Amino acid sequence: MKGIRGISQLSTRLYAAQAARKRRFHVAARTGQSLAQPLAGLKLSPGAAHSLKDIHVTRLPSGLVIASLENYSPASKIGVFVKAGCRYETPDNQGVTHLLRLASNLTTKGASSFKICHGVEAVGGSLSVTSSRENMIYTVDCLRDDVDTVMEYLINVTTAPEFRPWEVSDLTPRVKMDKAQAAQSAQIGVIEGLHEAAYKNALCNSLYCPTHMVGNIQSGHLHQFVQNNFTSARMALVGLGVDHTVLKQVGEQFLNIRSGTGTTGAKAQYRGGEIRLPSLSSLVHSAVVSESAAASTSEALAFSVLQHLLGAGLHVKRGSCASSKLVQGVAKATADPFDVSAFNSSYSDSGLFGIYTISQPAVAGDVIRAALAEVKAVADGGVTAADLTRAKAQLKGQFLMSLETSEGLLEAMGTQALVEGSYCSAEEVSKNIDNVSLTDVANAAKKFVTGKKTMASSGNLIKTPFVDEI
Amino acid sequence: MMSVAARSGALAPYLHSTKHAVKSLVKPGAKDLAPAAAAGGIRLAHTDIKIPDFTDYRRPEVTDPNKSSQDSSDARRSFSYLFTGATTVVGVYAAKTVVTQFLSSMSATADVLALSQIEIKLSEIPEGKNMTFKWRGKPLFVRHRTEKEIATEEGVNMSELRDPQHDKDRVINPKWMVVLGVCTHLGCVPIANAGDFGGYYCPCHGSHYDASGRIRKGPAPLNLEVPYYVFPDEDTLLVG
Repeated sequence: MKGIRGISQLSTRLYAAQAARKRRFHVAARTGQSLAQPLAGLKLSPGAAHSLKDIHVTRLPSGLVIASLENYSPASKIGVFVKAGCRYETPDNQGVTHLLRLASNLTTKGASSFKICHGVEAVGGSLSVTSSRENMIYTVDCLRDDVDTVMEYLINVTTAPEFRPWEVSDLTPRVKMDKAQAAQSAQIGVIEGLHEAAYKNALCNSLYCPTHMVGNIQSGHLHQFVQNNFTSARMALVGLGVDHTVLKQVGEQFLNIRSGTGTTGAKAQYRGGEIRLPSLSSLVHSAVVSESAAASTSEALAFSVLQHLLGAGLHVKRGSCASSKLVQGVAKATADPFDVSAFNSSYSDSGLFGIYTISQPAVAGDVIRAALAEVKAVADGGVTAADLTRAKAQLKGQFLMSLETSEGLLEAMGTQALVEGSYCSAEEVSKNIDNVSLTDVANAAKKFVTGKKTMASSGNLIKTPFVDEI
Repeated sequence: MMSVAARSGALAPYLHSTKHAVKSLVKPGAKDLAPAAAAGGIRLAHTDIKIPDFTDYRRPEVTDPNKSSQDSSDARRSFSYLFTGATTVVGVYAAKTVVTQFLSSMSATADVLALSQIEIKLSEIPEGKNMTFKWRGKPLFVRHRTEKEIATEEGVNMSELRDPQHDKDRVINPKWMVVLGVCTHLGCVPIANAGDFGGYYCPCHGSHYDASGRIRKGPAPLNLEVPYYVFPDEDTLLVG
């Protein structure tokens, strides 16, 4: 019985195979159809809908988010994104993230400092740490075949650092060097001061270690910070040019060291203040901002469009920035060299929006007032549709071009995976940008004009007004 | 969403800080906000280094940069190996020569070696006469034997001899007998043409030797020693 049934099944199977072959022959024989286009009338099984070239995002039960893109590039990039920026520092360990940034090559449980350096160099890779106020990003890049080697070091650095006391104390001169170099840049000084003046907590912490804490951050502080903040629920493992299954395996096996959400950061409280940093510099850098919107809202997108509407930096190298409203406005106020752009920065629960000016000391006040007048003009409705289109196009262009580099793409994938646990494609984001209307932009400008201002200035501040005088 | 809003604008680079632990392939002058050397290691890619032209030092087969060097590699390799091999052989030979010359300088000098041989002009020795020479500190007897003596010695019965040796075994040319003039008993010098057997007689203890230097009577145990000698030509005898 079974045998007979088997034979009959065989015959039907053969028939089906023949029929399928006939169909395929028929379809392929259609002349004039390019092989580069998908065959029409071919039903794909649901499993085949995803092509390898899509960005895959998976959230593991522990909370860890894995995101990867197989772009067939000869070089791979892997990043571990952690919600452990300097906003999560507490008053007794201020500056610990700065030290963490410098401590990425210290001895870990699985590899000594020398082994990490030598091992990564041996495959021609790079290991670096980037930290912002919200996130810390550990990145390794290497050739595609050497991913296993550098992955081992990356996991060691993020999950099993030893922070040996003598190695940590050896970091003090590097902290000082870092601070000295940051002090050379006026922009860094102003932006750090701006955040310090604008917020009461969390976001007021500086990216750089405060002077009174240099040399006072010990191994214990680092361990505690890592214990509290480097938990699976606050991490994302992102890869470019790696297989998603491989990354998932690594995430499940190695990045489940600390479970839970760790300590929740405090909500940032905006206070609005002023900070003045006098110096002998011949240029006055000044930032005037007000609270904007949190990053995940559509209001934030409106602020971004407003930023490009007003002018967000050069689009032509060494150009005159003629399309920038702010530049046009300030050019009427002074003939001396100046620069002005809109400042926009959004965080998970707050944001800052305003203007950033660089001017000669004697005309600083005029420049700032002229820039603010331009923003007021936008708030009062002095924006044409053409301006809006231009601004949207510039924002879209800048965003899309940032995705062109592997660093930009990795950062985009990582920050989205970390915050939302999914990835918004570039097309979706472009659509959202297009949906920003004139009223949204005008409201954003009004919010700035009416909001409590924060000001940070540095340079020769003789003629620079105070925040209540502008 | 956040990525768009959070990092656009000219001041975006100042909103975060990057530190490199290990950085490979950095072009000198690369844009970096705080370009301190990576603590772990930093590799710079210099594109301005000029490599000098080594054409003067190259072999003719490898001066063309567009031709593969593998075509001439066999020829070049075999030439190099041959040259090295030959030089090694010559060097080893030279070394061996130098070493042996140095070592042989420590051996006996020529004057000492010269003393070890004696050349005798045979024409000066009349028939029947025995001549004594000093050789290596010992007396050397050279006897020009007569036919009668030769016949006598060759006819001696072996059983009579204490140290049986045929005359043939003791001479190269029967006409000339060369023996050391040292008595095998206690080392005295025998007297020639004396004794009962027409040979030698040792006066110390009365050993009689015949014309072939064999012991016949007396206390000596062995025949007179026959040294190594050759006749380089008819008229010369070289002993030693």
